[in-house]
Amino acid sequence: MANLIFYVMAVLTVAAALGVVVARNPMMSILSLLASFFALATIYLVAGFQTLAALQILVYAGAILVLFLFVIMLLNLADVGPLERIDMLMLHERKTIWTMLVSGALLGIGVFAALQSAPVAEASEANLPKHGIDELGGLAQAMFSRYLLPFEVTSVLLLATAVAVVVLAKRKRGGAA
Amino acid sequence: MSVPPSHLFVLAAVLFSIGAAGFFLRRNVIVVLMCIELMLNAANLSFLAASRMHTLANGGRPDLQGPIFALFVIVVAAVEAAVGLALVIALYRNKQTVSLDEVSELKD
Repeated sequence: MANLIFYVMAVLTVAAALGVVVARNPMMSILSLLASFFALATIYLVAGFQTLAALQILVYAGAILVLFLFVIMLLNLADVGPLERIDMLMLHERKTIWTMLVSGALLGIGVFAALQSAPVAEASEANLPKHGIDELGGLAQAMFSRYLLPFEVTSVLLLATAVAVVVLAKRKRGGAA
Repeated sequence: MSVPPSHLFVLAAVLFSIGAAGFFLRRNVIVVLMCIELMLNAANLSFLAASRMHTLANGGRPDLQGPIFALFVIVVAAVEAAVGLALVIALYRNKQTVSLDEVSELKD
């Protein structure tokens, strides 16, 4: 059953990711990305990562995508007119061919490495910890002992980001709107 | 779930290459940022797949390195989205455009 869910959600994730790239309207891209994130969260869930699945939905769908939506609506980009088309015409451009080659090569290397590396262990639900791999208590203990320094560095990064965003997005005083 | 770990890695590779293709193909800055998010998600998925693989190999002792790194990647993704979108707003204010084709001063 969980296997079936995984494969269905994998197909859904890939389809939605393709939708992000192909959609002409940025709004459709965002909705596609949302579907992709939710399907990915389901995959995390069946793979035994409850906390990460929750965080995926909270942070990605709840914060990051809302930020994207906010900017699109603020700048009124949903009907920005004819954007670039992904059609047969584009396939004749050199850049597109190179892009396809590069990402195809990436895909080939990735799939090759995946099939090479993983010695297929007894992958079953019974061998996993009962409360999930990233059970919140264990995660917090590791985070605040062994990974305390990266955690603190992250907080500095967030502070720097807040300052940077304010500086970047602030309207210049006296300048043209 | 008894999916072999390699299938998770293959899914991550597919997601990453879709993101990379979109990153190079699209001209809309916002969609390019979304493609970066897609690639970061693929990286997250492979972190978690590796963690799951190690947990299974260790006989069920949780391997927390993967989830913690995935957590940091999520934070970095949020930071990147915030700064990127602030840049988009600044760009739009100065040039009234979000198309990368019209912002090529550094290229030529």
